Amino acid sequence: MSSTPKLDTEALATASRAAEAPPTGYVKTRPGGKRRESVWRGFFRKPSTIIYLGLIAVMVLASFVGPLFAGDPVATTHPQFLPPSADFLLGTDHLGRDYLARVLAGGQVSLLVGFSVAILCMTLGLIIGGVAGFYGGFWDTALVKLAEFFQVLPGIVLALVAAALLGANVWIIVVILSITMWPAVARIVRAEAMRIAQLGYVESQRAAGFKSLRILISDVLPNAMPPVIVATTMTVGRAILIESSLAFLGIGDSNNPSWGALLNSAQSYMATGWWLALFPGLAIFIVVLAINMLGDSLNDALNPSIGKVK
Amino acid sequence: MKAVLLHYGKLLLSSLLLFLAVLTVLFLLLEIAPGDPVQSLIGDNPVSDEFRAQVTAAFGLDRPIWERYVIYIANVFQGNLGYSFGSSMTVSELIMSRIGNTLALALPAFVISTLGGLLIGAIAASTRSRWLDGGMSGLAVALFSIPNFWLGLLLIMLFSITLGWLPVQGKGPYGSEGISPEYLILPMLTMATSELAYKARIMRSSMIESLGQDFVDTARSKGLSRNQVLWRHAMPNALLPMVTVSGYSLGFALAGSVVVERVFGWPGMGLLLLDAIQRNNNQVVLGVTIVITISILIINILTDVVYGLVDPRLRARFSSKQGSAA
Repeated sequence: MSSTPKLDTEALATASRAAEAPPTGYVKTRPGGKRRESVWRGFFRKPSTIIYLGLIAVMVLASFVGPLFAGDPVATTHPQFLPPSADFLLGTDHLGRDYLARVLAGGQVSLLVGFSVAILCMTLGLIIGGVAGFYGGFWDTALVKLAEFFQVLPGIVLALVAAALLGANVWIIVVILSITMWPAVARIVRAEAMRIAQLGYVESQRAAGFKSLRILISDVLPNAMPPVIVATTMTVGRAILIESSLAFLGIGDSNNPSWGALLNSAQSYMATGWWLALFPGLAIFIVVLAINMLGDSLNDALNPSIGKVK
Repeated sequence: MKAVLLHYGKLLLSSLLLFLAVLTVLFLLLEIAPGDPVQSLIGDNPVSDEFRAQVTAAFGLDRPIWERYVIYIANVFQGNLGYSFGSSMTVSELIMSRIGNTLALALPAFVISTLGGLLIGAIAASTRSRWLDGGMSGLAVALFSIPNFWLGLLLIMLFSITLGWLPVQGKGPYGSEGISPEYLILPMLTMATSELAYKARIMRSSMIESLGQDFVDTARSKGLSRNQVLWRHAMPNALLPMVTVSGYSLGFALAGSVVVERVFGWPGMGLLLLDAIQRNNNQVVLGVTIVITISILIINILTDVVYGLVDPRLRARFSSKQGSAA
């Protein structure tokens, strides 16, 4: 193993630092215990949290409920290149389609990919990182090498090549992105699991004769959750960004254009229709910004000693 | 000394193994990909079975998979990345003709983002004004959340289309050799932005940690000025994570240049990769991916070397007896 710590995301950097700092993160009550409850309550009472969550909720609702009220995203019956107006809030595109309807429909793809990838990454990360960190030895070496592999080959190139070769519907993209992005979460779980495995109460569980798998699932992983939640949140944002880059490069499901795909076609009409290139990008920006801000304040709430000057 | 050699030996070996693993995955991806390579070589013309067999044999496609795998690995290690039929050049020549353009973009972007990230992160960490820290940190999160290619499109719309100050696409006026500086500005800035935001965030948390250490209190209590404490004592210590992050980000910038090159029509390796993907030119796709992987591995090794040079604690560990790297 090389001596330099391998970092690849901001979330990883802050959260792994969280993992190194001994007294934090770990709370010796089960999840749902008093201290954790008050942490969550404090978190949800912060006005900034409400703003970020509100922004995300608005974008999710708009994308999944909005299309019921907006026009037909594929009807080409309107005049072409209408700038935004009261009739067409986001204007119309080069084929005379209602751009608001298209942006809302595009959000479904982007958000679905973002959340699915994050959930898959968290699951993979918990299993792989948990096993590696808790059992150690051969498993640890093997799984760390596996994670290293995916960090050497940059996700976007692997995703690009794989999607180009295997075809690119939404679920293939989700799987490819998850395969390239899980190490960020797994690394954090591993560090946490290693730390928690040393703690006295795990030892006492062992002494009491509990099976190690049971200890892993009911004690180690739940206590590893705070930094994992932060990393998973950040993963949503990163997945949306990477998916939109791929779609912008023309790798994506052409029947269900995501925000990135809309920007791909907008590039040809930048001089004629500025709104075509503006709104899908703005949508990505708002969602990813809200998610990253939420991740930051989650980090402040769940890993309180990080990022404070003494 | 022995420990140092052992450390770098291990590092080289593990890099080599990773490289082999990447090659294997690429080979397998190509194997399971739908589509018949013989058919794509022949084209859509109807041909006799003998001719088909001839083509298959000529490219060794009739051999068993493990044999082709060994040949492929051997070729890569001899620097033979195959032949691009589309452009009548070997893949290596094709990549060599483009790699300079990508570096011309990635290296200045790397310098800008590293210096900018250092400065913004250090100021945000050390300022007593919550407003300044909040502003700079907020800016970093915002830049970090902007889709890179969208930022590029916005810059083009503002500076090239609306204001007409800078060219829209390409690396120079039509027909000219080399790179014109005014063509470099927008893609370089686009590339630097998200890197800068990332580095600023890392630098800020690293600097905050450094400022909380005992030796900073010691320096303060010796009566050193604020600036001396900040730049001479806290900063060098905070730089260590930045070395790692910068190394990794340079590797990823090479890969990420695909997006920026597409936005600005910049004829580098990324654009080559995209063209090859669109034309199903798998030799070139493989070649570019391999070159990017090699670059990243080399950068990672260099990062490790630099890290060893700048961290005196690590040097001390090497010179002591039990000092193989943890």
